[in-house]
Amino acid sequence: MTVQADVGFLEAPDAQRSKQELDLKRFLVQLGLSLLIFLVAVAACFLLSPYAPNEPNFLERLSPPSASHWLGTDQLGRDVAARLLYGGVWSIGLAFLVTIVGAIAGTAIGLAAGHFGRAADVTLMRVTDSFFAFPELIAAVTIAGVLGPSTTNMVLALILVGWMKFARLVRSLSVDLAHRDFVVQARLNGLPSYRILWRHILPNIAPSLLVLWTNAWSRTILSISGLSFLGFGVQSPNAEWGAMLLDGKAYMQTAPHLMIFPGLAILIAVLSINLTGDRLRDLLGSNGAAAG
Amino acid sequence: MLRVEKLQLRLHGKPILEEVSFDLPRGKTLCIVGESGSGKSSLLRAVNGLMPATFDSLTFRPKNGRPISLKEYWKGRAGLPGSRWVMQDPLSALNPKLALGVSIGESVFAQKLKSLELKAAISAALADVELPAEMAKRRPAQVSMGQAQRACLARALIARPDLVFFDEPLSALDAIVQKQIAATMRRIQTRFDMTFVIVTHDLGFAAAYADQMLVLRGGKVEANQSAEMFFQAPESDYCRELIAAARELGGLPETVVQVSGSKAAIPC
Repeated sequence: MTVQADVGFLEAPDAQRSKQELDLKRFLVQLGLSLLIFLVAVAACFLLSPYAPNEPNFLERLSPPSASHWLGTDQLGRDVAARLLYGGVWSIGLAFLVTIVGAIAGTAIGLAAGHFGRAADVTLMRVTDSFFAFPELIAAVTIAGVLGPSTTNMVLALILVGWMKFARLVRSLSVDLAHRDFVVQARLNGLPSYRILWRHILPNIAPSLLVLWTNAWSRTILSISGLSFLGFGVQSPNAEWGAMLLDGKAYMQTAPHLMIFPGLAILIAVLSINLTGDRLRDLLGSNGAAAG
Repeated sequence: MLRVEKLQLRLHGKPILEEVSFDLPRGKTLCIVGESGSGKSSLLRAVNGLMPATFDSLTFRPKNGRPISLKEYWKGRAGLPGSRWVMQDPLSALNPKLALGVSIGESVFAQKLKSLELKAAISAALADVELPAEMAKRRPAQVSMGQAQRACLARALIARPDLVFFDEPLSALDAIVQKQIAATMRRIQTRFDMTFVIVTHDLGFAAAYADQMLVLRGGKVEANQSAEMFFQAPESDYCRELIAAARELGGLPETVVQVSGSKAAIPC
């Protein structure tokens, strides 16, 4: 990024901006296409897979990867590949849900803190700080433990510990933006608050929000797998990558494929979302977070 | 129409403006001049309720209306009713994510126009500032500085304001564009009978444009005179110095011919 910024002096600002926009557009097209291909492939797997994820077959327990079971079977003879597929819906989908709810709640709170005066700001940010005081995963374990182990409670717990980063980011960016000339203009022209927030503040913080959200998404996948592995999350017989690791732990020596494939799945999911987020951050960087 | 008496502004215990008073009649142009840090922009902000100033009285009389007590008016909002602002840097005064037409249209948001009426009004405002109608679809990054500043003018103009504040409207532009936009400003001022308050540090511009001069230095008023008087017999030594310096640099002609009242083309 620093190199790019230095070169920026040589180019006309318009040329530089449009080149960046072009890069971003190209990346979004690539991202969209690869997502489409990925989703089609996953859908095909769902349709074509001959095995149900929770269907035991006691004749083929703990069998290693083979032509009929590509990723082997587990201790109840369930197809690991089918379970990975369905487990992904839990891991990735639940994390998606959790971070979307967290992002919306955090954004609403951050906008309110940044826009509705000092009293609102102080109150909301102190609440945010006090939520921040608890380490994320430990707080989630505690909440899930107190409420009892279930998927719903885990989701609640993760939402409760996940919204503050969004609130803090949105608040600080919107306070900065509130002093920018175009927001002052909007206020002078008598625009109502909702319109200023929706048309002037939100679009200008959206790039930073998007980057933070991809980051939160991949971390939440790890949290969900972690909680399920500890037994607080998705309960068996439902397949979830963390829960699969927990199930497979007892057979680690004899059937390592029970651990390897869910582990790889988590790694790949987290890595690809993280890398996408990093690339987005780079592309949005200079006219996203900084310049609004 | 705008009368300010003994306005004071303190920030963090430091006095920014001290006992600033002026009285601006309708249809005239007040130029506020001073070096940077003299409180010119702060004065504009204070008069618009964006900064917590104290004053003996601050009255604003809108067209066909009674004078308003601004202390009441500023509870929960800012600005003066029926006034608009044009800021120094058009690129930061326009939301980078919005098309120029949307930004211009927002100026009359309170009127709740139907979309066709709004579209027509935006096109008319663009035409008034000599921009083609298709500019409405462009975003600020896709136009030149001059065009962006014209869009800001259109945003002020579309609301048919009584009073327009300009905060160094030309200083971000090059000389040719400055001259063109100054001419446009004068034309729309005459056509729509508006009162202008212009913050500037360009005495040449002020000489050609102002009816009244308000010179600030370190937050205090150095001169508050009609422009004619100011350039012939300035009120203070500082103003004499200022005028002499501007003459030396060549930005100001030896004899200033005031076109006050007639609003002829601006001699640039």
